[in-house]
Amino acid sequence: MEEDKPPIMKSWNNVYLLVIAVLVMLMIFFYFITKYFE
Amino acid sequence: MSITDWFVLVITLLFIVLYGMWKSRNTKNIDGFLLADKKLPWYHVGLSVMATQASAITFLSLPGQAYSDGLRFVQFYFGLPLAMVVLCITFIPVFRKLNVYTAYEYLEKRFDLKTRSLTAFLFLLQRGLSTGISIYAPAIVLSSILNLNISYTTLFTGGIVILYTVYGGTKAVSYTQLLQMSIIFAGLFIAAYMMVHLLPADVGFIDALHIAGKMGKMNVIDTHFDLNNRYNIWSGIIGGFFLQLSYFGTDQSQVGRYLTGKSVTQSRLGLVMNGLVKIPMQFLILLIGVLVFTFYQFHQPPLFFNKVETERIVNSSYKQDYNNLEKDYHQLNEQKQQHVNELVNAIHKNNDAEINSSRIQLQTDNKESAKIRKAAIDLISTNNKAADVNDTNYIFLSFVMRYLPEGVIGLLVAIIFLASMGSIASGFNSLASATVVDFYKRLINPHASSRNYLYVSRIATVCWGLFCIAVGLYASKLGNLIEAVNILGSLFYGTILGIFCVAFYLKKVGGTAVFYAALISEAFIFFAWLTDLTAFLWLNVIGCLLVMMTSLLLQKVLPLRITIDETK
Repeated sequence: MEEDKPPIMKSWNNVYLLVIAVLVMLMIFFYFITKYFE
Repeated sequence: MSITDWFVLVITLLFIVLYGMWKSRNTKNIDGFLLADKKLPWYHVGLSVMATQASAITFLSLPGQAYSDGLRFVQFYFGLPLAMVVLCITFIPVFRKLNVYTAYEYLEKRFDLKTRSLTAFLFLLQRGLSTGISIYAPAIVLSSILNLNISYTTLFTGGIVILYTVYGGTKAVSYTQLLQMSIIFAGLFIAAYMMVHLLPADVGFIDALHIAGKMGKMNVIDTHFDLNNRYNIWSGIIGGFFLQLSYFGTDQSQVGRYLTGKSVTQSRLGLVMNGLVKIPMQFLILLIGVLVFTFYQFHQPPLFFNKVETERIVNSSYKQDYNNLEKDYHQLNEQKQQHVNELVNAIHKNNDAEINSSRIQLQTDNKESAKIRKAAIDLISTNNKAADVNDTNYIFLSFVMRYLPEGVIGLLVAIIFLASMGSIASGFNSLASATVVDFYKRLINPHASSRNYLYVSRIATVCWGLFCIAVGLYASKLGNLIEAVNILGSLFYGTILGIFCVAFYLKKVGGTAVFYAALISEAFIFFAWLTDLTAFLWLNVIGCLLVMMTSLLLQKVLPLRITIDETK
């Protein structure tokens, strides 16, 4: 059986949460850019 | 291009192609040719996945898209990180466990041969056409630089990629992509820096963004829900999610990349890397387009960016009419530059009333510019009915050739080539994989030797390469290339994804039900596209859901004997 643990984080769920959190932060950042420069 | 540029271009291309061929010199069997012996680490998988998606179209069309339509295109990628998460959870473990060469092999294990063959056929059709368009994009570059007919440059670009893909297979593709992406990232930062450096001394990076923003180019997020609006946050998250899930989960050109990872962990980490880096990367490329737009507020832009078409019209009987339009355009731009300077002063003073006044003047100027450009395009079209009247793909290239210093031009042209080679090579390799594994090995010659399959894989690579080149020769009629590729994908991906979703999540549905559901869905998608029923991103959602719901319904109404046999 292959070893299937992510590096640094404890579980894959934490890695997926990180990906989604980065997406949400990017969307908030883009929203402020749109409002700031319009 | 200067000698320095040619030197940088030739050395970069030669080095990467030879490096890829050298690293893949030991390819002796089909495992090595199609899956690189499943030995690649996560960063290799991640960069390879990114290089496959980032074609030359990305670097030619995206800045042009931002120049004419602002930054809102980035919303198209919002579904991508979510799709990566679903792929890591569901698709990768299944594909790895079953030890498949292609994604479609799994469908026979889950359903039956006809469903596998139909899905593989839809993939071949879609990927063959898309890869053809990907060949055309860099051919534009060569054509513009060398003043050659695009047909010759299309043949040349496709020919080079056939050469090293036939020699080294997936290994050559992956190793070249690793270097390609590193050079691409470096080149993009240099381009962004140069762009800011070329702006007037009193206009900084933030001022440039303010100017673009006042002209509606900093519109990254659109929260208004509208089914007919191509790019808003909802179509990006929902439609984009389905498109990206389908592309990365069911398109062999991507599945073949992450199956090369040396373990489930390495394949997953490669996709996670893609999920984290892709949106910032696309944003940076679009931002370069916005900076080009700001740059041209201070300098005279060409009336029409495609040099080949411009030369054709100035050598025709419409020369005088075109020259008059050019004169009007230049006069208008001089007036516009005065208004832009007023806007910059107003921004520096932070005076809202003056900013609004300048903005209104600039909007009027831009409307006038658009009218003159339309008149020029009509003239080009009247002179030559077959003329390429969409110059979006030439905007960035035209800027690079006119304003960037020696050496940097060569590097950026090399980047366009490298990006293109990466995605074309993955395309050829995946088309050969599906042809050999899903048709030749399964239906024609199941008991041949590994050496025979390797030989046939190489023949299939050449045949698909020639087919894609033929498609590339007609790609100039398709308008903005990045949209053309995504529209084409959306016509097939929804149905293909639907088949995989039924396979993964609707365990009671059998092969016959999903087969007919896929045919019905594909017919409806073409109907929806031809009648302009909705924006193209939604076709992915509709196709996928239609397959799932229709197959559930068919499973209920199909004769009992068929469904019992299939779900045993």
